Amino acid sequence: MGLNISLSPEVLFQIGNFPITNSFLGGLVLSLVIVLGVWWLNRNLKKDVPGKFQNVAEILISGAFDFVVSIIGSEKKARRIFPLAFTMFIFILISNLATYIPGQAAVTLHRGEETVSVFRAVMADYGMVFVMTMVTVILVQIIAIAVHGPFGYLGKFFNFKSPLSFFLGLMDIVGELAKIVSLSFRLFGNIFAGEVLGAVMLFLAPFFMPLPFLFLGLLSAVVQAFVFAVLTVVFVKLAAEIEEEETLEQASI
Amino acid sequence: MELFDALGLNGKILLAQLINFAVLVWVIWKFAYGPIVKTLNDRQKKIEKGIRNAAEAKDKLAEMEKREKQVLDKARQEAQEIIKKAESVAEESKQEIVQVAHEEASKILAEAKKKIEQEGQQMMSEIKKDLAELVLAATEKVVGEKMDLAEDKKMVEKIVSEIK
Repeated sequence: MGLNISLSPEVLFQIGNFPITNSFLGGLVLSLVIVLGVWWLNRNLKKDVPGKFQNVAEILISGAFDFVVSIIGSEKKARRIFPLAFTMFIFILISNLATYIPGQAAVTLHRGEETVSVFRAVMADYGMVFVMTMVTVILVQIIAIAVHGPFGYLGKFFNFKSPLSFFLGLMDIVGELAKIVSLSFRLFGNIFAGEVLGAVMLFLAPFFMPLPFLFLGLLSAVVQAFVFAVLTVVFVKLAAEIEEEETLEQASI
Repeated sequence: MELFDALGLNGKILLAQLINFAVLVWVIWKFAYGPIVKTLNDRQKKIEKGIRNAAEAKDKLAEMEKREKQVLDKARQEAQEIIKKAESVAEESKQEIVQVAHEEASKILAEAKKKIEQEGQQMMSEIKKDLAELVLAATEKVVGEKMDLAEDKKMVEKIVSEIK
């Protein structure tokens, strides 16, 4: 058995001409698990005396909400961004933790010559990470346009007041594009590297050697989920902020 | 693009993943985040209301106790007044009764005295009358002859009255 590492998720089978990859299937299954969990929570929601599961959900949601409020600074704005950021956190966290269910590496599918593993970490699929990153980045642009107005938004990038501010404006464009790369590759890189490292360690020394890397991976599983969601909130906060200079301009008009 | 192929980016899958994620956001928003925030807010309101009610009840209880004490004090005071009044009335009537009794007694005493005096006088006059007759009879016996009754009697009575 050779070491099988692929940067892209492998196609398991096709429905019509729609390819089903292993990480896409995993994402669907985990989404279903989350939906079932939410359904169960919603069905057993008690007003006065919460059950254990509801208690945990309440602590998680109210704690996360307070944290988002502390970043955003306004409860009204926090209420708008919270569902998206919280879903990102939960989805990434559960996807990352699901890779720790043992025995997944053993389940493979034979497609002609190659063997394809059925399970793959959902966040080790750049597509899924890219989708979430684009949601964040596009949302940030929309918020910036809504707050600053279309001309204010464009004026931030194309500033002809002085050569320096023109250059800084161009740098802002690079900065926005860099957000896509930094946000997505941070998550994808960490999880993919963790997977690869785990696979390599398992290949080299199956007993005990992978354990420290597993713990490290567990840490990054939680931290990366947290970082991704928090960065989304921070980007939104920055986009929704009106700078002092601008308020002065608006006041003078 | 080669990079996209290398990373396994496929337009169809990306779209499916986007829809998948959107559904997930919607489900968590509608069925977990919303209801739980509502539940938490409701519970918070309920607890606040409960605490407020408890404080109100405490205040009311204190007020009731105060009022009860006031009523008790007033009742006690009134009772004291009634007792005092009754005592004074009793004292008055006692004095009155005693006075009336005194008066009655002195009246009775006076009457008795008067009666005794009258009786004494009557007795005296009767004795005097008897005495006059006795003296007359004695004198008649001594003198031995019968005197004129009317004249003698007058004289004897005068003598007897002088004796007295």
